[in-house]
Amino acid sequence: MRIILFLFALFSITISAQNTAIGTNEKLVYTASYNMSGILTDIAQVTMQTSPVKTSKATLLRLKCTAATFSKWDNFFKIRDLYESYVSPKTLTPYLYNRDINEGSYYKAMKYTFSHKTKTVKSVQTKRNNNVENKSNSIGNGTKDIVSTLYNIRLFDFENMSKGQRQSFTIIFDRKETKAQFTYLGKETISTAIGKKECYKLAIGSSESILQGSNSNLLWLTADANKIIVYGKFKIPVGNGELKIKSASGLKN
Amino acid sequence: MKKLFTILAIITSILATLFAVLPISNLAIIPAIAALIFGLWAFYLSKKTGEVKKIIQFTFLLTIVALSITIFKAVFTTTEVAETKVLDTKETQLEEEAIEELEGLDLESEEFEDIDIE
Repeated sequence: MRIILFLFALFSITISAQNTAIGTNEKLVYTASYNMSGILTDIAQVTMQTSPVKTSKATLLRLKCTAATFSKWDNFFKIRDLYESYVSPKTLTPYLYNRDINEGSYYKAMKYTFSHKTKTVKSVQTKRNNNVENKSNSIGNGTKDIVSTLYNIRLFDFENMSKGQRQSFTIIFDRKETKAQFTYLGKETISTAIGKKECYKLAIGSSESILQGSNSNLLWLTADANKIIVYGKFKIPVGNGELKIKSASGLKN
Repeated sequence: MKKLFTILAIITSILATLFAVLPISNLAIIPAIAALIFGLWAFYLSKKTGEVKKIIQFTFLLTIVALSITIFKAVFTTTEVAETKVLDTKETQLEEEAIEELEGLDLESEEFEDIDIE
């Protein structure tokens, strides 16, 4: 959950750039580690996957993120979380968002239906005792759900950004709009499971207290046309951790 | 002093053994090293007085067991995700529901022009 929170507390971008980075059958697998008394321990596997979804009117892109704890942790705290967003393949504008959180005895599901014409989001929240709550929220221009904004960050033209340049964005999470921003920190070459990569380094910040400290939450995106996230460091109120890429397939470029 | 180090060796060796059998086995290294240091110090002090208690040797045994379990787990246990049936079912169910929902939505046509879906 904390890993997902980290990932999803990150972004909401007010851009409508064309998608030149995200493929339609892309699969990125990560290992999430948590710092326990100074020792990093692998806790869960995070998968980010895209796939085309056909309706009678159009073909959308399904952006899916799942988090599942490794089997050795399942008896202690079992996490099976799913976040997905159905977006326009061209601009990654979201139309439908689902969140399904299953963490032991805790269950929560959330569905957003976006209406960009009326600038509203209809939400349906379901909890374990089948407590269903419907709500309608008005949203600003460019407000996106957490999954599509996470992918949206890859559409930025970092080559034309200067060191220290900031970008702000708005996300809707738990039916609340949250302001966040990232700062471009320049390029850095790092070793990953998929090879040595030159990366764009970003510092992530949020107006909420989910992410702690300045420049404590960092992301490394490959400095190529795919701009995939290969490494992340995060600090949250209960500790800090890392997100490392394990494998990448189906890349667009 | 001897008593203090013996007690510390007992506590840390028990901690190391506990950590070793739990999923957080890599954390066992810290108390195991501490147990070895405390145990060796207690052993040295006991030798000086000419009386080595069996409990000190027992803490060494516990620490060795803890370290063996930790090393075994680090070498032979693979980190893998098992049992994703619930998640897989949920994924399929959500996709089916989403397609139904998307059929009823007013999708802006300009967002879907000239798309190259492989």
